[in-house]
Amino acid sequence: MVFKAKRRTVVTTAAAIFVLLVVGIVVSVVTSGSGAANANADMITYPAGHRPDAPDFTATSLTGTPINFASYRGKIVVLNVWGSWCGPCRGEATTLKYLDEQYGPQGIAFLGDDIQDTPTNALNFLSGHGITYPSVNDASGAVEERLAIAVPISGTPTTLVIDKTGHIAGMIDGPVTYPEFNTLLQDAKVTQ
Amino acid sequence: MTDVHAHSAKAGPGAETADLDREATRPFGTGPVEPAETGRGGASGPPPTAAGWGRWAWRQLTSMRTALILLFLLALGSVPGSILPQEGSDPASVTQYFTSHPSLAPWLNRLGLFNVFAAPWFAAIYILLFASLVGCVVPRTFKLVGSARTPPPRAPRNLARLPHSVSYPSALSPDAAVDAAASVLGGQRFRLRRPAAGDSGHWLAAEKGYLREVGNLLFHLSLLGVLLSIALGGLFGYKTDELITEGQTFSDTPAQLAEVHLGRLVSGSDLAPFSLTLDKFTADYIDSGASIGQPAGFTANVSYSAAPGDPTKTDVIQVNHPLSVDSTKVYLIGHGYAPEFKVTGANGQVAYSAATPFIPANTNTMLSDGVVKAPDASLGFEGVFVPTAYMANGTTLESIFPAANNPEVSLIGYSGNLGLNSGETQSVYQLDTSQMKEIAGGPHLMTPGSTWKLPGNLGSITYVGTKQWVSLEVTYDPGQIPALVCGILALAGLLLSFFVRRRRVFVRAVPGADGIGSVVTVGGLTRTDASGGFEDEFASLAADIADVSSPSAPLSSAPSSSDAGPAAPADNQKPEPNNQPETGA
Repeated sequence: MVFKAKRRTVVTTAAAIFVLLVVGIVVSVVTSGSGAANANADMITYPAGHRPDAPDFTATSLTGTPINFASYRGKIVVLNVWGSWCGPCRGEATTLKYLDEQYGPQGIAFLGDDIQDTPTNALNFLSGHGITYPSVNDASGAVEERLAIAVPISGTPTTLVIDKTGHIAGMIDGPVTYPEFNTLLQDAKVTQ
Repeated sequence: MTDVHAHSAKAGPGAETADLDREATRPFGTGPVEPAETGRGGASGPPPTAAGWGRWAWRQLTSMRTALILLFLLALGSVPGSILPQEGSDPASVTQYFTSHPSLAPWLNRLGLFNVFAAPWFAAIYILLFASLVGCVVPRTFKLVGSARTPPPRAPRNLARLPHSVSYPSALSPDAAVDAAASVLGGQRFRLRRPAAGDSGHWLAAEKGYLREVGNLLFHLSLLGVLLSIALGGLFGYKTDELITEGQTFSDTPAQLAEVHLGRLVSGSDLAPFSLTLDKFTADYIDSGASIGQPAGFTANVSYSAAPGDPTKTDVIQVNHPLSVDSTKVYLIGHGYAPEFKVTGANGQVAYSAATPFIPANTNTMLSDGVVKAPDASLGFEGVFVPTAYMANGTTLESIFPAANNPEVSLIGYSGNLGLNSGETQSVYQLDTSQMKEIAGGPHLMTPGSTWKLPGNLGSITYVGTKQWVSLEVTYDPGQIPALVCGILALAGLLLSFFVRRRRVFVRAVPGADGIGSVVTVGGLTRTDASGGFEDEFASLAADIADVSSPSAPLSSAPSSSDAGPAAPADNQKPEPNNQPETGA
């Protein structure tokens, strides 16, 4: 009798722990998720009045020309964070070139931010893809760091669209696509 | 994890005596009406109602047995984290494991064994243990509060039955003798209880050692604190890895880091906004004796800025000597060589110029593998770097020492489409040669400064020199300090509960045989006396009580057995100590 009672206790306890473990696993799986704010979205838009400030910075372009970002105020700016080593950046290069050719004449400024790269590699990339707009020589990532404080940049490529008042209207996390870009551009035309 | 010890009460000669004995020896830390717990967690089945099932499940979860099993499972679950390479700390080894165990690795991966501490089943054990501890500690807190407010039990009728007892004649009246004993025990910070109005007899009950319960509670609360601290680290902490070569700078942002592991409530914008430059890296190796080639020290000279615009500071990072920036720590976790190449395309333009990290394939000799990609010149190279080259048998290139004493690179060239322009993400350490053609002349051996002119007018590659790279780990764990504090408190609580005894002392006085003075009996009881000392303490207390209540009658040390039956203090005016080891605790 004692033996049977003990065995029943062991079986009951084991069953209870098993059930509780299963419940725990289910709860854990259901509540799990990435900590990144934009994990499931490749586009973030900020409504007018709630847009983060784009940081002002001064830097040097890949060709050695000084760049003062404050001088872009009054224009919609498309700021693309990239690197010549980055496959997806190479994949979106043709789209960016096309958008620059289409919207550049309309007063929309395009600017690149080339991170963790060498000017030689980067300029080869730009000339190879026929991209003519300037890019910041951001080998140290200092400019990208300022941008990342304002908005959650998770990797390259990332494209920010900044409205005329110097506020970030939205961003595309990953390669630029034409529809997403148009949505952001229309948003950016509305300012607070 | 309840900690209840039940004393077996001995039957007294009468019903009242039996009641008093039972009360006096009731479990320490419990009230008079509290039922004794078994600590088994309710092994019997639940009543067939939802509430019954709920209560049963909760009892199962919060039982000591379940907590111990969960603790064991937690330890068992951590074992694969030590044996198998983990994605969090060594992703390269995980990749290597997949290569060397192509059939086993996917199954291990499905079980989460390459990221044990983030696996759902590990989290389940952790959460259940947490719930079990909460379920234990919360009732225990109420129990302690109740215990702290519970007066000592009434003195048993026959103190001679207690494990320690002594009796002696006193010149004082029974009331005065008990008062005198109260002053002694009160002075020793015993909690006292005297007869209530209507109670018969002259007695005193005293209890001490509540710190034991405090220690017990402190231990449980601290365990809870440790778990909370770990959760704090998991929610708000982060860990990132980055590989940089000498002269290179990186900023602590997700876009610039090789690996990013964020806590569940951390976003990329929450990372500490510092930037860091590797100015110089030095690896020292033992160059003679039996340990030749073994590392002697690694030093990374860095300059850093805590935030954009902040002044630049310099520091040295070594193994186990991290750099602290605000609340984050930057650890040196790896190193290697980054040969510097310049690739010129067919058009004569330099298409690639950079120090290219090669990954050590052999950490003893630092023989390393890597690739050079010049997609804009449609050229790619697979290479082997040897820091101290030695040509074994005149044909096989080997490295005989980990320092770069005689560096050479062996390259195999490819021309064609590297596949990078398709937009697919590629590893910077692998070359996709599926759309490329091998260039004749490889493997081509190069020394620093040499140039390989590629056949077919494809261009050239120059091995400019050698730099070194380091792998840095940036960690922020807000739970680290709380976990340490809680760990120390848990230890303190454990020590308190080990070394502090709950003990009760009872005093009864009856009028002397001739109506003059009184006969005082002192009895003592403790729960556990593993560390010893209660016998001495009791003897000392009894002597003190005897001194104040009957200074003229010194305490006799003659032993007597309590098995001789109930003491008859009225017939015995001589001191009569009864000491025997406690058996019921």
